[in-house]
Amino acid sequence: MPKNRVLIVDDEAIVRESIRAWLEGAGYEVATAETGEEALDMIDKKDFSVMVMDLRLPGESGIGVLQRVKAKKPQIKSVIITPYPSAETLAQAKELGVIDYLIKPLVLDDLEKLIIETLDSMAKEPTIKEPKAVPVKPGVVAALKLFTITYEGLKSLVESLMLEMEVVGVKAKQGKYVYDKLSSVSELCLDYDVTVLTPTKYLLPAKETLLKFKTGGAQFESVVESKSRALIGVHPDDINAIALLDEVFMKINPDPNYIARRKNTLIISVDCIHPSPKSFAPSMGTRLAESGFDLLLTDIGTGYVVTIDSQKGTELLNKYAMPKPVTGEEITRQKVVRDEALGRYHIALDVPKERLLKLLYDNYENPYWESRSKTCLNCGSCVMVCPTCFCFDVQDEVALNMKEGERFRRWDGCMLVDFAKVATGENFRHDKASRFRHRIFRKGKYILEKYGMPGCVGCGRCAIACLAEIASPAEAFNAITESSRAKEETIRILREARDQTELYLPRSAHLMKVRNLGAKEKVFDFKFVDGKPLGQRPGQFVEVSIPGIGEAPISVSSSPTRDDVFQLAIRKVGSLTTATDDLKEGAAVGIRGPYGNGFPLEALQGKDLLFLCAGIGLFPLRSLIQYVLDKRDSFGKVNILSGARTPTEMMFTDEQAEWSKRPDVEYLATVDKADANWKGNVGVITTLIPKVKIDPRKTMAVVVGPPVMYRFAIIELKKANLPDENIILSLERRMKCGVGKCGHCQINGVYVCQEGPVFSLAQLRSLREAL
Amino acid sequence: MKPRVAFFDFSGCEGCQLDALNLTPEELFDLIAVVDIVNFREAMTECSEDYDIAFVEGSITRESEIPRLQKIRRQAKVLVALGACACIGGINCLKNHMSMEEALKIVYSKDAKYYDTIPARPLSAVIPVDYYVRGCPPITSELLKMVKALLLGKKPDIPNYPVCVECKMAGNVCVFERAMFCLGPVTRAGCSAICVNSGRHCWGCRGLVDEPNVNSEKEILKKHGLTVEQTLEKFKIYDTYTEAAK
Repeated sequence: MPKNRVLIVDDEAIVRESIRAWLEGAGYEVATAETGEEALDMIDKKDFSVMVMDLRLPGESGIGVLQRVKAKKPQIKSVIITPYPSAETLAQAKELGVIDYLIKPLVLDDLEKLIIETLDSMAKEPTIKEPKAVPVKPGVVAALKLFTITYEGLKSLVESLMLEMEVVGVKAKQGKYVYDKLSSVSELCLDYDVTVLTPTKYLLPAKETLLKFKTGGAQFESVVESKSRALIGVHPDDINAIALLDEVFMKINPDPNYIARRKNTLIISVDCIHPSPKSFAPSMGTRLAESGFDLLLTDIGTGYVVTIDSQKGTELLNKYAMPKPVTGEEITRQKVVRDEALGRYHIALDVPKERLLKLLYDNYENPYWESRSKTCLNCGSCVMVCPTCFCFDVQDEVALNMKEGERFRRWDGCMLVDFAKVATGENFRHDKASRFRHRIFRKGKYILEKYGMPGCVGCGRCAIACLAEIASPAEAFNAITESSRAKEETIRILREARDQTELYLPRSAHLMKVRNLGAKEKVFDFKFVDGKPLGQRPGQFVEVSIPGIGEAPISVSSSPTRDDVFQLAIRKVGSLTTATDDLKEGAAVGIRGPYGNGFPLEALQGKDLLFLCAGIGLFPLRSLIQYVLDKRDSFGKVNILSGARTPTEMMFTDEQAEWSKRPDVEYLATVDKADANWKGNVGVITTLIPKVKIDPRKTMAVVVGPPVMYRFAIIELKKANLPDENIILSLERRMKCGVGKCGHCQINGVYVCQEGPVFSLAQLRSLREAL
Repeated sequence: MKPRVAFFDFSGCEGCQLDALNLTPEELFDLIAVVDIVNFREAMTECSEDYDIAFVEGSITRESEIPRLQKIRRQAKVLVALGACACIGGINCLKNHMSMEEALKIVYSKDAKYYDTIPARPLSAVIPVDYYVRGCPPITSELLKMVKALLLGKKPDIPNYPVCVECKMAGNVCVFERAMFCLGPVTRAGCSAICVNSGRHCWGCRGLVDEPNVNSEKEILKKHGLTVEQTLEKFKIYDTYTEAAK
């Protein structure tokens, strides 16, 4: 079967070529012509199924070309492109077999759709030579779905609807606007900023019965209620919200109650001309709606331009509103009206919405959540007025006769205190900050990941309803963008401060002192030859290099609070560490770094700390313990739990002995296997955890040890109800380059050398390779 | 055997008991089909001291009320505080802002010497309370909901979220946007925002939610133009017994 062949006639090369590229990609054979004459010439030589032609061509006019094409090859279907479609031209074009038209400048989406439709309609009928009746759509204008109606036309449409069904529209109430049943068309306000509640309440009512039951058995019966209803005046942002609800309630596990209401609801949308000062719909891409309504009205001052998106809409319009074909001037006016409205929005996101996913991912630990949520009233207003919030509670209610009853659902929301509380009393989102963050993450990340569209349409209702003035997702997104930028800026300044040629260039450091720690472990004191301090954060690492042997990542064991000397504790296991083991005092090595994120000092501040280290896990953790003890007043209680396989494998025993004597430190040690000299606890390190009193709300546990220990330590810490955010782990990976390039250290998408090696358990939950 | 229900009153206006009687004839028949009402001074002359569930109205404002309440507590398997006075001390606690002598004098003038009074307090300040039917007065349907929950042996669903939730569900324009003041953001819901629905504001008669952000509410009242004193006055009406009015 021959391929469908498409001829593109346009004098603009860019238009020709972009259409050609797309169609060829879709498997069609494409030819292009620059002028009408060239096109006619090509038609003589080859058969074409579709011709896409700009009406304004150099030389012979488009209409003239169409006439000649029709005379030569009447079976060719044409789509025309025109900047100013007058009714006269369109009528002429229709006569000449044009099945649709597009307005220039081209909206590529529309063009794609149209060509697909046209080609699909003929996919089963490859080019034939005999003339055949062209399946003309009901009028050129209907094909484009645009009409105009007068204000009177709309009035008569609404009045007629009121005879057929319940009509709900936007009405004024106490200086605000609400959706309510219309008793007269004069109540309808179509030029409004925003309504108090959203039109979605007619699809998901505040309370609705799901089942009826009889007590004393298991007799249930579904209840699906809905009635025919028209919603008039829905703004495009809410249309986008309804599109999300459709995705949630109609795709996976279709919800019968929602579907019944949705199918029974006629939606007449209206473009927002005077947006609410709190709206940021343009940033969320929801200022306009392309589908999801039956009719969409744009008030152009002389009447409405009406866009149709359903058969029901077409019928209604024809029946009640006396539609007229739209003129070019009216289309231009519609664009002007929309552009003017765009200029009336005051709030915009500082990042494109496409970047929200990454932005939020990077800012889970941002102190913003805690600081900004302090004034939250837990009043739930933000979620109650939100068009994209759909969470609910389910409850039973029995009748007073105690024999029958109903199971109903009722609006609920993640900002309410008890939303994540289970019967045993545990509340999985017990604090304001985690609820506040969860809501914003749903708006910008979770919903988008699950359903493919953002959980916020930027309507601004939450920002209006929030008495504490903290609810606007735009504010949250912008605030964390700013702090992210500040962070990036710091990193950039730090990077620029260093000469870029130095990325892989180690700095020379002298070995000042060596001390044995165990059979294979030593601690080395280094000092840079240039005398500068390392400037590390506790928990960071350096790349140690010995020319000819190579490089290896070694965590820094000393706190920056000590002195310009930095200590590396090293176990002799590989070639580099075997080489360092042989180093004598005075020797020089190369050092790159420090690298990695280090321990989250800000998050630890003021908290009770529980340090858990097994074996040489103490090497990185020691830097933090030293840091905390040097700034003892900045932290709450300090518990150190230290473990090793045998007493001889205990590291820094002198220092551990000091810790055990300090009155401001609770210190416990254990060994898996005791020897004759060991007087302390015997057992794996996790057996120490139950001996410590842990207040899960203000304790941060910092755990460093071998992977197997992590698994058991987490189990024990979770028994103490410690939230995932409060469990901090340092991971060992093969960090070869240290600068986020070589890829060896990657856990799923995360470069441990840059974003790690320190993670909270909450972060690791989404990294399936981590533990 | 049907559970035996008794109603008792302490210091209060008895409006809660009246409200409990505000049933339709159908509801009344349904109710007496499932419980025996054995003691209800406001509604019947018979009374029995043998009961399972006690609904107790009013706050405690005199020493002599304490042993009486304790006796009810000993007899009742379940004791439910009925109404704002019983649940949170209610408006009776307004007198706690003055000395008891002064209060007696204002009320009884020269006869003050014949009376005694103590600072008003909710039932829970004297005896353990199992459940609360809140409000001034309570919503009759909530009282029935409590009875049904007790009959079913399940925990009654009493909201722990503020009135704002139900007020939003009702589609009201926010009281603050109508240039009035409201305690809805910290007051326990369950009333379906009845006062705001009828054009007023929330007075806080159902008491505070479990984790009220009173400081934030006070800031909001101030931001909308109240002085600190005026803000505290708002809370005094019903929340004197709690920290909020201090």
